[in-house]
Amino acid sequence: MNPKTHAHRLTRRALLRRAGLLTAALGTGAAGLAVAPRAHAGDYKALVCIFLYGGNDGANSLVPHGIDAHARYAALRGALAVPRASLVPLEGLDHGLHPQLQPLQALWQAGQLAPVFNVGPLVQPLERTQYASDPTNTDWVPEGLFSHPDQRVLWESGGRHPRQRSGWGGRAAQTLGGSAPVVLGDNQQFATAEQQAALTLPGPGELLGGYGLQVEDAAWAPLAARQQALLAMHQQAQDNDLAEHYAQQQINAFSVAARLASVVKALPGEATAFALIDRVFAPLCVSGRFANPLAAQLYQVAKLVHGRATMGSPRQLFLVQMEGFDTHAEQVLRDAPTQGVHAQLLAWVAEAQASFHQAMQLLGLADAVTSFTQSEFGRTLLPNASLGTDHGWGSHHWVVGAAVQGGRAYGQAPDMNPGGPQDAGAHAGDSQGRWIPSVSVEQYAATLLGWLGLDDQQVAQALPEAGQFSPQRLGFLRPAA
Amino acid sequence: MSQRDAVRLAHQATFGPTETLVADIRSQGLENWLADQMQRQDSRYRSGGGADVHQLTEATTYCAQAAHAHPDCWRNNFSTQPLAWDFYRNATTQADQLRQRVAFALGQVLVVSNVQVEGTYGFRVYHNMLLDLALGNYRDLLRGVIRSPLMGDYLNHVNNNPSAPNENFARELLELFSLGTCQLQPDGERVGTNCKPLYDNATVREYALALTGWTYPSGGKSAWGCWPEGANCRFHDSPMVALPALHASGARRLLSGVNLAAGHDAPTALEAVLDSVMRHPNLGPFLAQRLIRALVRSNPSPTYVARVSAAFDAGRHCGLQRCFGAAQRGDLAATVAAVLMDEEARSGTGDRRGGKLREPVLLFTGLLRAVGGHTDGDALGWWWGGELRQVVFRAPSVFNFYRPSHPVPGTTLVGPEFGLHGANAALRRLNFMSFLLDLQGAAPDAGVPQAIGTQLDLSTWAARADDAAALVDQFSLLVLGQPLPDPGRSAVVQAATWWDASRSPDWREQRARTTAYLVMASPQYQVQP
Repeated sequence: MNPKTHAHRLTRRALLRRAGLLTAALGTGAAGLAVAPRAHAGDYKALVCIFLYGGNDGANSLVPHGIDAHARYAALRGALAVPRASLVPLEGLDHGLHPQLQPLQALWQAGQLAPVFNVGPLVQPLERTQYASDPTNTDWVPEGLFSHPDQRVLWESGGRHPRQRSGWGGRAAQTLGGSAPVVLGDNQQFATAEQQAALTLPGPGELLGGYGLQVEDAAWAPLAARQQALLAMHQQAQDNDLAEHYAQQQINAFSVAARLASVVKALPGEATAFALIDRVFAPLCVSGRFANPLAAQLYQVAKLVHGRATMGSPRQLFLVQMEGFDTHAEQVLRDAPTQGVHAQLLAWVAEAQASFHQAMQLLGLADAVTSFTQSEFGRTLLPNASLGTDHGWGSHHWVVGAAVQGGRAYGQAPDMNPGGPQDAGAHAGDSQGRWIPSVSVEQYAATLLGWLGLDDQQVAQALPEAGQFSPQRLGFLRPAA
Repeated sequence: MSQRDAVRLAHQATFGPTETLVADIRSQGLENWLADQMQRQDSRYRSGGGADVHQLTEATTYCAQAAHAHPDCWRNNFSTQPLAWDFYRNATTQADQLRQRVAFALGQVLVVSNVQVEGTYGFRVYHNMLLDLALGNYRDLLRGVIRSPLMGDYLNHVNNNPSAPNENFARELLELFSLGTCQLQPDGERVGTNCKPLYDNATVREYALALTGWTYPSGGKSAWGCWPEGANCRFHDSPMVALPALHASGARRLLSGVNLAAGHDAPTALEAVLDSVMRHPNLGPFLAQRLIRALVRSNPSPTYVARVSAAFDAGRHCGLQRCFGAAQRGDLAATVAAVLMDEEARSGTGDRRGGKLREPVLLFTGLLRAVGGHTDGDALGWWWGGELRQVVFRAPSVFNFYRPSHPVPGTTLVGPEFGLHGANAALRRLNFMSFLLDLQGAAPDAGVPQAIGTQLDLSTWAARADDAAALVDQFSLLVLGQPLPDPGRSAVVQAATWWDASRSPDWREQRARTTAYLVMASPQYQVQP
């Protein structure tokens, strides 16, 4: 490269094309990752958290299927009630799935789907009478209930208050001594430890790299000098702690890009190393774009799981996420309660989660990789007048993987009646169907972490309040053989 | 005022230092410069289509109509991209820098987002209101926000139903726009070790009910009819109007001891809601923390917060030469003056808890303003804003682009803007600078009105490039207020020096390019001191 060609005018497309070429020239090209999928998972295990930001309406995700129970639900849910005939049956269970969760039905039949009823943040097991006696008493009620940012942290971190600075995923990774969890999307706290930031990666097809910062750029003296100066500035001591953290992150970014750029960038069909994964994900990607944002993120995870040999850790955690579940208004279409915003969101979740599981099966890793949902809260069972629902508390979740002890649900489905034992309405006129959880975030998380291989002491480090609940683990995953 | 302090003020109160701006601050001095800025009002949002997107009489969509058939119909009439053009044009060129910067900060508190609601003209009305009231009284601003039909659509309180109200806006009005969730001391610290909650959900419902009874202003039309019966059709051109049939007029107990008697009307309830919020002791410290974090530093000391919240409460803040504010509680001119005149904003060297990660928008404007150049804003909206996850007017949710309390691992500090940061963003920050410095930026796009592209003009700095070390120091003096510390400085000088007459005829420009890239890539620049 000489200065004259370097300084020509480039359009955006040319910039991206050029950046792509630079990336492809990296030492760790996609061919370098052609690790043959193993027949057995060996010692590898990974947990994949699917966070549904905004507060997923669990009551419309898993719906009572019995005639009487459904009638009670429908009477309370009004215009939002999913008709009984449209529910996807789960054989042997008294609940059915929202029709858009249909892709999960096959997993239920294979014993690889475990619904967990009415999970949410708790300080200790809580009865309605105690709650109603003082709904803001932080000795037995978590702080920040019904608030998005607060209940997010209560789920991301566990514990009784939203001021925690890390997440149970990040702490678990640190306890295991492995690499930091990988994050796709904006929110990081679940994957963060007190001392260790999460590793946030971009979506498929995107550049993870710096223009003029690649190894081969250093062959040209002025860029070599620029790289040297960047390193010198970031390696020296900084005046304040934020700048210090920033500088360390920058240096980390240079090395992460060198290791992972080609894996991150690959789209379905671009790298033979990922042929098995691509078989599942290619139909979801048209002209280099995934219509389903969660599928794009889980495609990244699938590639990274496949390339686990390069990640240097036999235990991994991943966080993928989707916004949009805060369905205060027009959650369903008028007179079409199985259609609308929420139905679209659930369709994406089910398609992405089922596809990911299928890819893991093809890699022979289905029993080594477990995915699970989280969401800051469920929603009021009683709808508001704008075809939507407001902030709730406990909600239903689900876990997918070949290690799941399927064929049954866990936890306890709530009594839906206003004034019932799970009703968090403290006053008359305040019974909109917010559920006091019957399973704590701690129990849900401890079950997952126990399966990942944390012993009781390590679980206690990742989840300091786990000891408040019994049983500590719910049994929805098979213990290690 | 020293060069260093003037540059620091420029980072806190404007979209980035220019040589002219810094000279102006130094010659006027802090208080005169602030007073001059506060009376300026130059910027305005003007671009994009009109209110006719909500005046359809045919049963088809706006862009499907022959008269509007244009590949950019949605962009021009429904998106906020035209306002991003105005935003960046104003931020890089208009003189009312402080007003714009405070409006930008307030827009990240009082969030409405084009991700969930559409109609360019409504966003234009909303953001012009923020510019108008940025240095006015917070009560007027909150009233405007509550009555904004755009906000009414965003958080669902327009046409709210008095028997089964949607709680969305009521909760965020209290939690995000005014008070937070826990009782605060005047210094912003929590009262007690645990949270003392300000309200429970029953109180949120009281606010939802008190704020029922508002519909769109008249003027909207729809071929499909409008719902509920008696309400006006969607229209975002002016404040919502009261509709008595939709108001729940029962007795209400609000915060701060404010009560509403049964039989009241919607405008009375609105003023009572404002009373209850404006009188609340949390409001001052809540907003003080938000504004300090947006302008000065991520981790203010409690005494700094207390001084600013005292100015908010008194509505007045005096320095040695001047006083700011009209002595009404909630005065934002007084509050902003207190934020910027505080010793913690003005001194603050060697403070390990100092600093604030420059948000992507301020990196964009900072580079253009410091080096010199021009932008029509188009490349900085969807494109580079998207690359760095800060597309102006398109926050992912009402929680803005990042959380005010985002914890920074390995420290005991918060760093809101670090919520957008990571390995990927770290590299993209550098790539943005490469885009402008190495790749010539973006040429004008014929589809953008008054297109001028986004490009730098390196001539000012190239003219000073004969001595590479002097160039690096002069540029550092403008953007850092002082020379880069060694050994970084020597390495930067060395990289600039590589270019000389024997390497290339445009060696002076290349030196300027290398210098600007490296000095602005420095942690000292990226983390505003």
